[in-house]
This record gives sequence, structure tokens and C-alpha cells, in this order.
Amino acid sequence: MNQNKVFNTESAPHIPDSNSVARVMLTVWLALVPAMLAHVFFFGTGIVIQLTLAIAFALLFEAISLKLLNKNINLFLKDYSAFVTGLLFALCISPVAPWWISFIGMFFSIVVAKHLFGGLGQNIFNPAMVGFAIVLISFPQAMSIWVAPQAISLYDMSFLENLQAIFFNTFPTEIDFDTLTQATPLDTIKTAISQDYAMSEITNVPLFGKFGGLGWEWIANFYFIGGLLLIYKKVITWRVPTAVIVTTIAFSLPFNLYDTDQFIGPLQHVFSGGLMLAAFFIATDPTTGCSSHKGQFIFGAGVAIMTVLVREFGNFPDGVAFGVLIMNMAAPLIDRLTIPKAFGQQR
Amino acid sequence: MLKATEITPAHLYSFKGGLKLKHHKRDSLDNGLSQSSIPDKLYLSLRINRGNIANPIVAVGDNVLKGQVIAKPDTTNGSYIHASSSGKVTAIGIRETASPNADYATVIEITTDKKDQWCTIAKTHSITEAIKSAGIVGMGGAGFPTHLKYQGNNIHTLIINGAECEPYISCDEQLMLDYPNDLIDGITLMMKAADAEQAIFALEDQVGGIKSQIDKIIAKRKIEHIVVVKVPTIYPAGGEKQLIKVLTGLEVPSGGLPLDLGIIVQNVGTAKALADYCKHGRPLLERIITVAGDAIGKPQNFSALTGTPISHLLQQAEFDKDKTERLVIGGPMMGYAMPNCDIGIDKTSNCILALSHENTQHHGDSLPCIRCGKCVEVCPSQLLPQQLHWYIKGENLEKAREHHLFDCIECGACAWVCPSQIKLVDYYRYAKSEINYLDYKRTKSDAAQIRHEQREGRLLKIKQERIAKRKRTKHRSKNPDKMKQDLQATLDRVKKAKEQKNEPK
Repeated sequence: MNQNKVFNTESAPHIPDSNSVARVMLTVWLALVPAMLAHVFFFGTGIVIQLTLAIAFALLFEAISLKLLNKNINLFLKDYSAFVTGLLFALCISPVAPWWISFIGMFFSIVVAKHLFGGLGQNIFNPAMVGFAIVLISFPQAMSIWVAPQAISLYDMSFLENLQAIFFNTFPTEIDFDTLTQATPLDTIKTAISQDYAMSEITNVPLFGKFGGLGWEWIANFYFIGGLLLIYKKVITWRVPTAVIVTTIAFSLPFNLYDTDQFIGPLQHVFSGGLMLAAFFIATDPTTGCSSHKGQFIFGAGVAIMTVLVREFGNFPDGVAFGVLIMNMAAPLIDRLTIPKAFGQQR
Repeated sequence: MLKATEITPAHLYSFKGGLKLKHHKRDSLDNGLSQSSIPDKLYLSLRINRGNIANPIVAVGDNVLKGQVIAKPDTTNGSYIHASSSGKVTAIGIRETASPNADYATVIEITTDKKDQWCTIAKTHSITEAIKSAGIVGMGGAGFPTHLKYQGNNIHTLIINGAECEPYISCDEQLMLDYPNDLIDGITLMMKAADAEQAIFALEDQVGGIKSQIDKIIAKRKIEHIVVVKVPTIYPAGGEKQLIKVLTGLEVPSGGLPLDLGIIVQNVGTAKALADYCKHGRPLLERIITVAGDAIGKPQNFSALTGTPISHLLQQAEFDKDKTERLVIGGPMMGYAMPNCDIGIDKTSNCILALSHENTQHHGDSLPCIRCGKCVEVCPSQLLPQQLHWYIKGENLEKAREHHLFDCIECGACAWVCPSQIKLVDYYRYAKSEINYLDYKRTKSDAAQIRHEQREGRLLKIKQERIAKRKRTKHRSKNPDKMKQDLQATLDRVKKAKEQKNEPK
């Protein structure tokens, strides 16, 4: 009775579609290219070295983890998810951060946050943000040294000098270290406010541009453009970015109106630090975010509120990473409470 | 409930989700409709639809005529099976059928005599009776027994589904092109049977020329209350619930039927089958089936007898067996892959697809879900497919039910867009059948529990009665005089009874 099976009997759908995880990840990479170029323009070639390092460590740890867990290395390395984790991490750290920052960050991102939680699609926390938060808390000094934007800097570091700074911690000697490097705009604000300077005085220095930090605001603009590409390509939806940006403005505005000299303005919030990157590229990570439409709004709003609170009242200059990680924890609960009505359900 | 007059088909609504797919219909339509030759053997499956089975009323060796009833349903949900050509019953046994997973079922094998000799078809009095005797089932794919749809009252609208949304399938379009008059006859019959106030005939907007052709016939024959409406070509617009939404803006309640809204939806093939029986006295023995795919040399539509082996149709369409990797009954989105081609087609088989390796989706390399949410965007039932997948994978079936698993129509849109290429629909089918089984087991165990408790109750009662009786007798035994009296009374009664018995009659 067992008839000879001639044809393949896999289940529907039978015709192929071109979508794949790798394609999703590569689109993310493509969308980040404009912002990366802007980064090079404003802060020099350090970011190129950081990107190379972070991606190399990410792929190395990914391969080792897959090997140790007996998973198909070939299949999983090709999904480019580790590649994107390295990419996002490098965009968060200083262009002259020492090389071991990437090493430690990627270890926690890939090995701890991703593979120890079950690998691709199983992680609770955003891997890039876990790595970033760990190095930020553990090595605050190494993380806080940024180069001054090239437009106001008296000295532009060459590629070789960047390499020396990253690998040997040696900076050019012909110029004063304090002139060469500078705290980030948000860091500057935090320090200055604690010294009782008013916001108007703080942002009046050349380090600040029209709404955000000089250079930073432009990079944020390019993140925005890249983000629009992702929405157009349907890699992400508009909900999370909109929720993050709108909530940031809405939540920071009352503080700013209450005391303009004590609190950061809404536009300064949006165009500074990692907010725009997070709005389009990090809080939109589907694995660690919410899946219902209502849930996505709540998630984005939560990230924004946490970020503003940390920036205004916390110990750290920026709070995007903490906002994302805290909302990651809340995501499963939000999803359970916002199950959408199905077709034909009473509404 | 809405009245027919409140539904204005001039204004269309939309449903959430859905896909735009390449339709690949032109190839088979350009080659037109051919009459398939009579095959040597017919394999007629007695499995009608979801669990309804017909019982054979012929035996091996019997001669049968075309149109003769060879199997009757065991419940009212089933339908009749007729011999689709004349010949001899050569086997009745278990075989693979053209159903999901090519399930095994009882199949009557008829070796044809090629004479195609008809038996006399008895006349029926009502249309609903005609639907039953003609063995008509929903020809769009689900095979819902048509007569069940006409048992309800308060039907105001009949929707004729000519929106064939799956790629490659063109049998309905072919039917509308070649048999518009029969189609209109069928629709008027159905309206009469349902006592509906109006009929809406829905077509996809990618078809050309059919609307004007049908409109002309309607005008010429002066038929009222039938409107032809074009709906956007979005998969799955031809799904019953989606089509109702598009045309009326109403949503079939979760777990309900279109009947709950006073609407009946019928496929164009079903309408034609009814006209064939009522006008020409032909039961449902034949259907139009598309043979297409990139391993088919001459894709076309066939008018083929039910039970015709797939191989017989493939031969007539220049089939390249070596090139074929997958052979599908139905469309590329929801169809079932067949293990071989010696399987008979049935009343619901609308398409045979032969696909090559390059044109086939392979799930071997599926990655874990990254929760990208693409499936959420395309799901026409507005579910969270990735959450369902997650819960089912963790065997958390109750959670899946909570996430409206049973509203899934298994259209396959989620699996189609999945970047990790996960066979999502397989998970849902598994979970649905598993939940149904567990529910069945639970009701059974609940019933057993109740039975057990009742039995315990009964036993307790008997025991208590016995104790009470014993108490009574004990009480009596304490009084010797009373006992003696009782004994005497009993003896007298026995004696009397004996005397009565011995008396001559």
C-alpha cells in the first residue's frame, strides 16, 4: 500500500519569496551608511577602526559560540545579525576608545546577551545595548573621552594617529590632550549644570550647533534619513520611531518650560546622544521589542521617558541604553496586555 | 441584522493585511479550455470533507453507469458520490486521495468502458433537494456541503465568489468566460433557493472582459438584483470572510459563519454545477481544473471527470516529470503537495501545479524567528503569527488559543513573507488539531467524571436503602409475635398464589 513517493511533499506555500534574515540585516547596514559617512566627516577616521574592530570581534564570538553550541556555523553566520550588532555598538562608542572596549563589549553582546539566552531570536535584551551598558558602567573614563568635532578642533588626527590612540593609548604629543579631546555635548551639559551654569550659557560654546551638539545633530539627521529608508523598505514600521521622538519632545517640554536654565530643551534631547540611532535602529529591534501595534507605541514611549529621566536626573549623561534595556524587560508583559482584536472579534 | 438595501456594493471596503502576488494566470488561460479524454481508471474518493465519509453502495464487480449513485453519506453533512463515467467497479480499498497530506481514505476504483453511458436521473422537486442529489459541494476548495447553507432563514444576500486569489489557478475565470449563461442560471436558482433579495457577483479587477460579458447577459435577460462588482486583487480577497468584508464592510463573527450575517457565499463553480443539474439533469461529475506550473509544457484548463488520475491530465498537458520537484493539488499558497501522480482528483480540486526545483520554496534552512513582525503586517485575520508560533513551539497551546489561533484561515501569507522561512501554517494546523483533541479528551473525561459520580451516588443510595431495610427487619426480629404474623401472612399469600395458578383456565 505504501505507494512509491516520487515528489517532494513539503507543505505550502510552495513558490519562493526572496525575503530572508540576511536581507533584513543588510538593509539595516545600508541604511546606516549615510550616518557613518557623516561620522567620518565630523569626527575623523576613528569610527572606521572601531567599526572594523567591533564587527570582527562580533563575528569571532558568534563563530565560537555557534561552534561550542554545535549549531550550523555556515547557516547562522550568513544571517548577518552579529554583523549588525557590531555595527550598532561601534556607532555608540567614542572613535578613540581603546580596542579592548570592543572586545569586552562584544563578548557581553554576543556570548552573554545573545547565545547564553538561546541565540538568534531568543534573546531578551538588545545585544548591542547590553555590551554598551556593560562597558559604560565598568569603564566610564575610557568611554567618556571623545574627540572634538573637526570643525572646531585645532588638530585633526590622522588615520595612523587614530590607530595609535586606539591600540596603544598614545595621543599626538605636539598638542595638548585637553584640546584634542572633549567631552560629549550631553556630558558637558551634565557637568556644567552641576556647577550651576545655565543652559543658555552652556550651549553658547562652539561645541553646540543649532539644536544639538555640533556634528551630532547632522549625524542624527542621517540616522533619520536611514530610518526612513528602513520604513520604506518595510524592515521596520513607523510606530516605534514616532513614539520615541514624539514622547521625548512631549515629556521633556514641561521640564524645559518650568526652568529653561536647568533642563535640556526638547530639540536638544532629540538631536543629542544616541536618541535618533535608538529610535530607528535599536528600539525597533523586533526580537527584543513589542509585536502588537499598541505595544510598539508603549515600548517607544517608555524608551523616551527613561532616556529623558536619566539625562535630567541620573548619573549618566545619556540614558538611551538603559531605557532600551528596561523596556526590553517589560516587552513580554506589554505584549500580553495588548493582544489585538482578531478579525470578527467584537470591538 | 442588516438588510440587503443597506449593503451598497458600489462602495468597497478593505481588509487588513494581505499580499500582492504575481498571478501567473495568463499562460493557462491563453491555451483555453480542453475536454479531457476519459481515463482508463477513475479513483473516486469517499472522503468528502473534514471527516464526512460516504459509504459505498456498490460492490467489486458491479457494472455502473454514468451518474449512478455509488456511495451515500452517513450523516446529513455528507453528500452523494456518483460514478463519473460508465464501467465496472474493479476495487474498493484504501488509497491516497487529493486532500491534505494526501490522506488515505476509501476509494472506489472504476475501470471505464469508454462508452460514457448515462443512467436515468430522477427528477427532484425542490432546489435544495437538487443540490443534495446532485452531490454538490463548495467548489472553491473547502468542499463545504452546499445544501447546509440553504437551511437557514433570513438570508438577504448571496455572494458569488469569482475572486480566484491564488496565483496560477484560472479555472473559475475560464468557467466565467466559457459558461456565463449557465452561471447566471445557477445564480438565479440559488437566489430562489435561499430566498435572497440580491446577489453580488465578485470578480478580481485583474480579469478583463468578464464583467461586461456578464452585465450584457443580465441586461439582455432582464434579470434583476444581480450586480457584478470588481474587487482589488489582493491575496486572500477570495477568502470567504475577506470577500464579505470587502463587499459589505461586515466581519463574520469569530467562530461564526456568513449565515450569521444573513449572507451565503458560493463559488462560481458551485453555481454552474447547480445549473447543470437543474437544466441539463447532470449531477456533479465533472469540473474545470487548471494544469499549470513551470514543469508543464502546455498549461491549460481541462474539463475533467472527478476521479481522473492526476497523471492522466498531466500527460495531456506535456508534463516534464524529471523537471518536477513538487506536485501540488490546489494553489501555491494553500495547496497540498502530492507524493505521486496516481491519485484521483475530486470535486474540490481546482488546480494541479507541477513546480521545478528553482521555482519551489524550500524550508530546510529555516532560521529561528527574529520576531520581525512581517507576518503581523500581512495577516488578514489580524493575528500575531509570531506569538502563536512562539507559544505553539513551547507547547503552550492555551496561550495560542488566547491569541485567537482559531481565527487563522491558514492562507499562508505569514509563511510566505517570513524571512526565517518558518513553516508557520504547519504549526497552526498542528496546534488546532492538538487543542481539538485535548478538548475532546477533556469533555470525555468530564463526562466520565460525571458518570462516575452518578454511579457512586447510586451505589450509596442502594447501600443506604439496604441499611435502612436491615434496620427495619432488625426491629421486627425484636418482636417475635409480629414476626410470626408476618411469616404467616407471607405463607398465606404464597399458598393463594399457587391455588390460583392451579385453577383451570
